[in-house]
Parts: sequence; structure tokens; C-alpha cells
Amino acid sequence: MSIMEYNGGSVLAMKGKNCVAIASDLRLGNQAMTVATNFEKVFPVTDCLYLGLAGLASDVITLRERFRFRVNMYTIKEERQIEPATFAQLVSSTLYEKRFGPYFVEPVIAGISKKTGEPFIAATDLIGCLNFAKDFVVCGTASDKLFGVAEGLWEPDLEPEDLFETISQTLMNAVDRDAFSGWGAIVHVITPEKVITRTLKARMD
Amino acid sequence: MAECSFGLIGKGYVILASDTTAGRSIVKMKEDEDKIKALGPNLIMATGGEPGDTIQFAEYVERNLRLYHIRHNHTLRPSSAAAWIRRTLADSLRSRNPYSVNLILGGYDHTTSTPNLYWIDYLGTMVDVPFAAHGYGAYFALSTLDRYHDPEAPLEEGLETLRKCVREVEKRLIVSLGKFKVKIIDRNGMREIDL
Amino acid sequence: MNTFVSRFAPSSSVIPQYRGALAGDDDDEFSDLTWGSQAGFGNIGAKGIPSFEVPNLPDPSAFLRMHTDDYADPNCRIKIQHGTTTLAFRFKGGIIVAVDSRATAGSYIASGTVKKVIEINPYLLGTMAGGAADCQYWETYLGIQCRLHELRNRERISVAAASKYLSNLVYSYKGMGLSMGTMICGWDKTGPALFYVDSDGTRLKGDIFSVGSGSTYAYGVLDQSYSWDLSDADAQELGRRSIYAAGHRDAYSGNTINLYHVKEQGWEFIGNYDVTKMHYDGPGNVPGATGGGYGYDVRTAGRSASDADAIDTSA
Repeated sequence: MSIMEYNGGSVLAMKGKNCVAIASDLRLGNQAMTVATNFEKVFPVTDCLYLGLAGLASDVITLRERFRFRVNMYTIKEERQIEPATFAQLVSSTLYEKRFGPYFVEPVIAGISKKTGEPFIAATDLIGCLNFAKDFVVCGTASDKLFGVAEGLWEPDLEPEDLFETISQTLMNAVDRDAFSGWGAIVHVITPEKVITRTLKARMD
Repeated sequence: MAECSFGLIGKGYVILASDTTAGRSIVKMKEDEDKIKALGPNLIMATGGEPGDTIQFAEYVERNLRLYHIRHNHTLRPSSAAAWIRRTLADSLRSRNPYSVNLILGGYDHTTSTPNLYWIDYLGTMVDVPFAAHGYGAYFALSTLDRYHDPEAPLEEGLETLRKCVREVEKRLIVSLGKFKVKIIDRNGMREIDL
Repeated sequence: MNTFVSRFAPSSSVIPQYRGALAGDDDDEFSDLTWGSQAGFGNIGAKGIPSFEVPNLPDPSAFLRMHTDDYADPNCRIKIQHGTTTLAFRFKGGIIVAVDSRATAGSYIASGTVKKVIEINPYLLGTMAGGAADCQYWETYLGIQCRLHELRNRERISVAAASKYLSNLVYSYKGMGLSMGTMICGWDKTGPALFYVDSDGTRLKGDIFSVGSGSTYAYGVLDQSYSWDLSDADAQELGRRSIYAAGHRDAYSGNTINLYHVKEQGWEFIGNYDVTKMHYDGPGNVPGATGGGYGYDVRTAGRSASDADAIDTSA
């Protein structure tokens, strides 16, 4: 079994019209054994920028802490909030620092630029290769299934409520075909005004 | 891995239970080993894993938390202590000589009047849970706990749930784990009891 | 070549002749199977023993293992279904048989609607864990043999005999890569009878069995409230709850529960229950149901371990 599949879990982000959405499942497993069903993998970075981390749970927690530290340092030094595109570079370089002994985590970034109001999503591999997508990005044990469902359901310029429906259906239907993801899900829809967070009633097996 | 520890919370308390056998090769060297370490007035930790690492790590943690207490004149809250212990394990994982220790951490947080329980493994995975188990016992007891555990159970009911788990492991696990040592932590501190 | 023949020659008395083990003797390459209407058992010869073609290699079972053992090599071509929870227990009212319905290939959930209880005949049930095809084929084959026994002896086969037949049969293939862990459940002259049979050749008589990757979780619930004197309704509820527990905790088990009850007049299908529906809502208005969802977070919603309130009143 691969180290990326040891704890299970999946994250997904989608672009909409002046909004973005990011969602994760809630499972923490120990191979086939489900240890907890309250393990969130998406964390706020600023009030309109979220970071999702899927992979080895230990590194998910470590990286959450490291990024919180680095973003705080940035905010203090620059005296302004970090932009999504800038944060993506920070994620990439933080991961590449460990090129020869990587964190076993694939990050997904979703946010809205405070400057331009443009929605932004990105993902990287475990050593920081950035992928700026204009539709959706996925990672985790259900990533291949997520690609398939998202490819079928996503369309351009979705309004926040429709984007919520699309990302929720994509996540739920993909993880229902994955043995290591699921057991609940959480979705954040980020608009310039507010962030809507909802937990989904998902399959629990 | 023929080791097993349990933890569960109830109304205002945390119970930790661990087997008491210390084995080496095919020999049972000791059958009253205390694997639950008191880390402070409101915090206890059940350890399991690589022999040697367990005791060394438990003492390292205990001394550091004691040092924090002396330096700052107050103890860390369970959530903060858990975060520090987890980070120590996560950093150790990428060192030349990592600690192979699985932990269940139980504590009582006086600031919120809440018992806390954390499941931590040797990789540095940590999760806040109402009940936890490490070792092969987890495969049997987690479903028993899913069925019978109640976060508002009074102490005697919590102990009865624990007894169910221990009985199940004794019945189904192919190796005998011997007696279990049980420690309780609540707002009055830590105490040990017979199951 | 003779050593090869003797290697696959039958060792047990159950299989007196083993036809066509060699790829070399291809005289019946176009067997009855080709002409259909044999219900998949066209390879059963005159003696009633099926024959199989074997890869033309020095060590056919190693060849098979190389291409089907996804535990040793996850990239191997053929993935055999693994991961299951099945249980059966005997009590005063008969036997409860409960299984999940998930089939996985690696992390992919290939199906959520697998029938893991094989209805051998109106009095016999077999459960399926391990290789799905192995269980299905050999338990259907067992059904044929049980029927023949009935016709020959003018009485139904005992569960002990049926399970022994299966056990001897799979034992004769030991080392060839068969994978099955099954429970043969039925009611005969002696009353309810339950046997565990697996492809190692183990055959155990017992009151409670659970087989599969989720079996430990099922035992964890089953053992705690099992008693011989359970009522029919309570026994059915216990079967449901035990499979639910495994479906919830084991990644390789879940989707739906199939519940059967073996009684004196033969087995009865009780129902199919969705595991997630059990988690949130419970089984609904069925015998034995206590109301409410089985899920831990559903059952304990709104309950807190904090004792702040207890202190406030005492202070």
C-alpha cells in the first residue's frame, strides 16, 4: 500500500462565476480501519483563501501548522493579506524545500483575489509542481474518480448556489466509489462577501 | 504489536486502560508493567510500540512538560500538550532514529471543564476522539465502543463499557494480553483503579 | 511429465478421476460447454467431477499467483475480489445469516450490490468471502450435488455432509490458489447447523462465525449481546447491527446488508438494508428495531462530556 493511501481522504476545488468552492471528506483511516470521521482537510488561510491537504495525515497537520506560521510572518512583514497567487508560490516553494524527503501531501488552493476579485484555484504535487486550472482541481485517494465525475458535472460560470451543488455532488458520488474516502464531507463556497460552510450528510461506510 | 490500549471519555472524566505485559522475543518478561504515564496533574498517556522507545519517549515528554511548568508557572492545557507531543513525534519521524511509539493521551481541561482524549500514532497522526484504541484490540473494540459508548455516561457506566472491550479482546484475540491497568483522570486529578 | 500428472492427480477419495488437467490432452477442447445449455457446468464429466484447463507451464499455480495476487503486486492484471464482512450465528430460533454487499478491487468500489449469500437450495445457505467466483461456482456445484444426494437417497443431505463435501472438494485444490471462506448454514434432522469451511481445508462446527476483513468489528458487536435464547426479532436486529458496525469501520465492507433467517421450514430472506440509512435512521419499523439510527454520532448527538454544568449547580 502506498504511503499516500495510508490514511485515505480526498480534496476537491472548483471555480465558479466570481466564486470558488473547496471541499473535503472527513475520514481518517489507518489503512482499512476508519479511526475517526471528524478529520477536516481544508483550512482557512485568510478570510477568502482556503487550503486543502490530502495525503499522509501527519503531514497534513504539520503543513497546516507550517503554513499558518509562514502566512502570519508574511502578514506581519508585508502588513497586508496574502494574495491567492502569492500563497500558491509559497506552498510550492515550501514543498520543494523537501525535494529529497518530501511531505506526502498534495495541496489544493482555492480563493478569491482581494485586489482583482478574480477566483483562483490551484493544486500541486507532493514536491510543489504548480497546476493552475481554470475549471477544477482534485487530489487524494479518490482523485481519479473525482476527475471523472467533475469532468461530467462542471460547467463554466456557476453561481455560488449552483457551484455548491456541483461540488457536493461531485465529491459525494466520487467518494462513494472509493473505499478510503468519505464518511462525511465539508464544503466551503467562497464569495467576495462571505464564505458559506456546510457539512454534508454523506455515506458512512 | 501484541499490545493493546484503550481510552474513553465520559461525563467529566477520561479513562485510560492498557495491558501490562512486557515481552521480549517469545518470553513474557513482566506482567505488571505500567504503560500509562502521568505527565502532569491533569494529563496521562498510554504508550505502546517499540520497546525502549516507549519508555524513553514517555520520559522525554514528561520532563519537557515539567520544564514548561517550572518556566511558566502553569501547566499546558491538554490540547496544547497534545499538539506539542504530536509535533515531536512528527519531527522524530524524519530523523535518523525515529521513535516508534503509539499514544493515547487523556487529560482534563480545567479552563473548559472538559475531558479530552487524543489518538496519536508513531507517524504523528493526531485526532481528537471520544474513544480510542491502539493495537490489535482496536479491531475488536472500536465497534463495541461505537455501539455502547456514551459521552455523558457516569463513571461506573464508562467502566462497564471498558469491561466490555476488555472482555471482547480476551475472548477473540488469539494472544492473551493478561491484566489491564486502568487510570482515571478528572477535575480532582489522576487515580488508578482495578477494573 | 509424470510428476506433473501426479501433482494434480486427486489425493482424496472424493475425486476419483481428474480429467483434462494437462493442457496436452485437448481431446475435449470443445467441451459440452461450447454447445451451451449446461448452465456453466458443461465441464462436469461423466463422473460428476468438473475439470479445468491448467496453464501449460512447469508451475501453473505460481503463474496464477503472479497474475492474480494483488497483495504481493498491486499492479497485477487480474484483481480478485477481497474484503467482506459475513456472519452467521445459531440460536434457539434457527440461524441468522447477515452479509454486506461491497466488492472492491484495490481502493475502487467495484460494486455495492453483490449477493454474498448463495442460496444453495431451500434449506441450505452459503456465504461468500474471498474469491467471489470461487465461492459462487463451488457453492452452486455443491447445490447440484446436494440435489443428486436427495434423488439417490430419498432424503435431504445433512448440513454436516454437505459442508464436508465442499471441504473435501476445495482441499483437493489446495495450493492452486482457490480463495474462499464460507459458512454453510441449514436446518436438518439435527436442527439448525452451522459450519465454517475455507479453502485451506478447515471445517469447523460452531454457533457463531464471522468471516472477512470486517469480521473483527462484527464480532465486537455480536459477542456482546449474543445469547442462545434471543428472540427471532432480537436475533435479526443483532445480525443487522453487527454488519452495520463492520460496514462503518471497515473500508472494504459496506453498502447494503442482506439478512436471512434459517428456520425449520427452510431459509427466509428477511430484507436488504442500506448501511448509511441504518447509520442515520435505523432499519425503520421492522421486528427487533429499537428506533433511531445506529450511528455513534447520531445516537450521541447533543451529548457532551463536559461537566461544567455539574460544577455550577454544586457550587
